[in-house]
Amino acid sequence: MQGAKEAVRRFGEKTINIWDGVKRFSQYVMSIFTSLRSIRYLKFRSIYMIAVNQTRFTGIDALPLIMLIALLFGATVIIQATKNFPKFGIEDFIGNLLVLIIARELGPLATAMIVISRSGSAIAAEIATQRQNKEILSLELMGIDTKLFIVLPRIIASTIAIFSLIAIFDLTAFFGGYLISLTTVFIPIDIFFGSLLNAVSFVDITITIVKSIIYGILIPLICCYYGFMPRSKFEIPIYVSRAVVRTLLIIFVINAFISALFYF
Amino acid sequence: MITVTGWMLLFRGAVRMESELLAFEHVTCSADSVSLNAVSFRLNRGENLVIFGPESSGVDLISPLIAGIIHFSGGDIYYKGRPIKNFTFSEELAYRKDLGYLQKDYGLINNMTVEQNISLPLQYHSQLSGEGIRDVVDGFVRELNLEHCRDFRPVRLLRSEALKTAYARAIALDPDLLLFEHFLEGQCLINAQTVLRSIERRFVSGNKSVIFVTYEPERFVSFADRFLMLDHGAIVFMGTRDDFLRADNEFLAQYMRSSTEGPMTIL
Repeated sequence: MQGAKEAVRRFGEKTINIWDGVKRFSQYVMSIFTSLRSIRYLKFRSIYMIAVNQTRFTGIDALPLIMLIALLFGATVIIQATKNFPKFGIEDFIGNLLVLIIARELGPLATAMIVISRSGSAIAAEIATQRQNKEILSLELMGIDTKLFIVLPRIIASTIAIFSLIAIFDLTAFFGGYLISLTTVFIPIDIFFGSLLNAVSFVDITITIVKSIIYGILIPLICCYYGFMPRSKFEIPIYVSRAVVRTLLIIFVINAFISALFYF
Repeated sequence: MITVTGWMLLFRGAVRMESELLAFEHVTCSADSVSLNAVSFRLNRGENLVIFGPESSGVDLISPLIAGIIHFSGGDIYYKGRPIKNFTFSEELAYRKDLGYLQKDYGLINNMTVEQNISLPLQYHSQLSGEGIRDVVDGFVRELNLEHCRDFRPVRLLRSEALKTAYARAIALDPDLLLFEHFLEGQCLINAQTVLRSIERRFVSGNKSVIFVTYEPERFVSFADRFLMLDHGAIVFMGTRDDFLRADNEFLAQYMRSSTEGPMTIL
């Protein structure tokens, strides 16, 4: 009986903590919208270098990793499909499989996971360190809106970078995966790409763009939020870890929601 | 109907407002274990003020209150005649543009070079072109002998170089009011002379005002017009440079002797 009461109490506490967290995050998002009112005073040149550097770090520097993972994923899917589809008489649907798995789901998710683990953790750690070093305070004392100066260029950079990376992931998975799969199975190139082109629809391209925009906004938004939170240097690793884990969780939920919305 | 006396009072009030840059009216504030209790003082344009006192006196609340970083629970702070607590979000950002704040940790942006740190407020706020900004920054770099380290990031700077960079950034927009908070503490005075000479050139007998918040008021005797001492959140001494040098006040005398014996309780 005592155990059950304790469990209920803990569950209630956890629920209240989650609700408080959601409220605080909502206030943070509202404060960003409030800051947008002063966007007419923002000179693009002051955030240009931040956006460029962030795009380089999130996009260009992640390219080798993205391409390697895309190659491996693409090859794995193609090999499995070409080995097993003939058993079911559906070898003509290899293009559909690639679009279904890689273009619709794996590409955006794998890209988001790489961006979160690389850039998301770096964003949270950078902002947390800047806060401890009084750099954020300096910006506020100079009359610089830290929401616009810190969060906005990262959102712009992440959106551009993630969209590009998803496109590169998908193309690398298709073409690179095809080339690697030739070592084990032979698929005539015209059949392979014909099947692929027939399977891609306008909806798939639209969903990819929608996901890249949503991930591009959410990943830096959430990671910046956790970056602003540590009150001492010792809390930085805790909040960086929270930023990565919670952003991952939210991205998985959003991904499932979008897929259900558009494809169900 | 306003009488002649009324018009004269209004006129004098307007002239006072015109020359008065900052006013604290019975400001009360509490943060952690430090507080201010109904503190009042005024600062006119062109006046320089030194605010000092022991650690728990509340001196460290003055600059953040003026900058609007912390909020007061009673009284009012007026800047150029307007109460700062009524500022909207945009007005508050614009107000901080008119303040030059040199905080004690300097707060340089670590992923920017010296040149980028100095040009940051100009990039964000000014209408100057890129070339104009470069000219202004070049002027500061030359004046403060930062040529050799202009491309360095803060991690590579000596403490005096960090001070010079933070100082240049604080005055880049030519603000009317400067807040210098414990900026010489931990500095080698010989290396800090460049900054002190620049302060003397720019801010002694001009139309800009500087508030020095410090534990070492004697360093600023040649810069300041008035001195204000706090103890346990209240003003215990306020006077001119001559009053400060005479040290007739018992609180001031105890402070200048660095003695634990006297009216101030030092823990």
